[in-house]
Amino acid sequence: MEVKEFEGKNEEEAINKAIEALGLNRDDIDVEIVEAKKSSFIFGGGKVKIRVHLEEEREESTGSLEPAGDFENQIIEFIEGLIQRIGISAHVQISFREDNKIGIDIDSQDSGILIGKRGQTLEALQTIANVAASRIQDGHPRIIVDSQDYRSRRERSLVRLAYQTADEVRRTRDSKLLEAMNPFERRLIHTALSKERDVETSSEGEGLYKRVRVYYRGSRNRG
Amino acid sequence: MEKELVEYIAKSLVDDPSGVVVNMVEGEKSTILELKVSEGDIGKVIGKHGRIAKAIRTILSASSTKSGKRVVLEILD
Repeated sequence: MEVKEFEGKNEEEAINKAIEALGLNRDDIDVEIVEAKKSSFIFGGGKVKIRVHLEEEREESTGSLEPAGDFENQIIEFIEGLIQRIGISAHVQISFREDNKIGIDIDSQDSGILIGKRGQTLEALQTIANVAASRIQDGHPRIIVDSQDYRSRRERSLVRLAYQTADEVRRTRDSKLLEAMNPFERRLIHTALSKERDVETSSEGEGLYKRVRVYYRGSRNRG
Repeated sequence: MEKELVEYIAKSLVDDPSGVVVNMVEGEKSTILELKVSEGDIGKVIGKHGRIAKAIRTILSASSTKSGKRVVLEILD
């Protein structure tokens, strides 16, 4: 996930600049307005700052791939058997292959149940799938289980949350504690804000699910 | 249904699948599933900090959502 900022006199101009610079269509970019100053009658010159969220391209970003080899066939068969026993009918396929990662997409009418509250069922299925994978093959690729693009949608909304929280603590000159997240989700927040010089992040709490606090720099040692 | 689900998951995790036994105890309000595995495999179905057990319970509750039955998993040691 990458984030770029653009400015223009108004929203449209900023978006057009982004489209031109990135060589993408309007529908392909995810735009967030960071700052909007209306032009004044006397001074003219309004300013709109937008933030564009770009997804890293995957080699095969659309459609599904044919399973290749024993490992992929066996892991698909295992996950199909698992979902069938949950009592849900679904179609399981390979969505991408990356260095040492295999994406599994579950297509089902009941994908809401398979995703679960804040993705926790998806996470559980992934945990079990990875243990099963280690039984099929030593040094197996990591299995990423997804349904209806939940993971990339969640990633995008977390990165957006990170930037919004940064803006908020800049305004309040204080800190803000985010909701509990798993390690992967927390890393997204830390990474998203690592380049922002005036804010800092740290994790608080115990166990797998910790909470990230976002600080305005300088607020940390006060009181 | 839930019994087969737990058996299926447990057998995929352990070294000794033949040692996996699931007993169903029907209670008043809910069904209890008792999972028993070979002695050396208990750690495999519980996992570090109970991570695997938690995943099994989460999947089980997804199944309950679908079937409307409340099911509790107990791992016997």
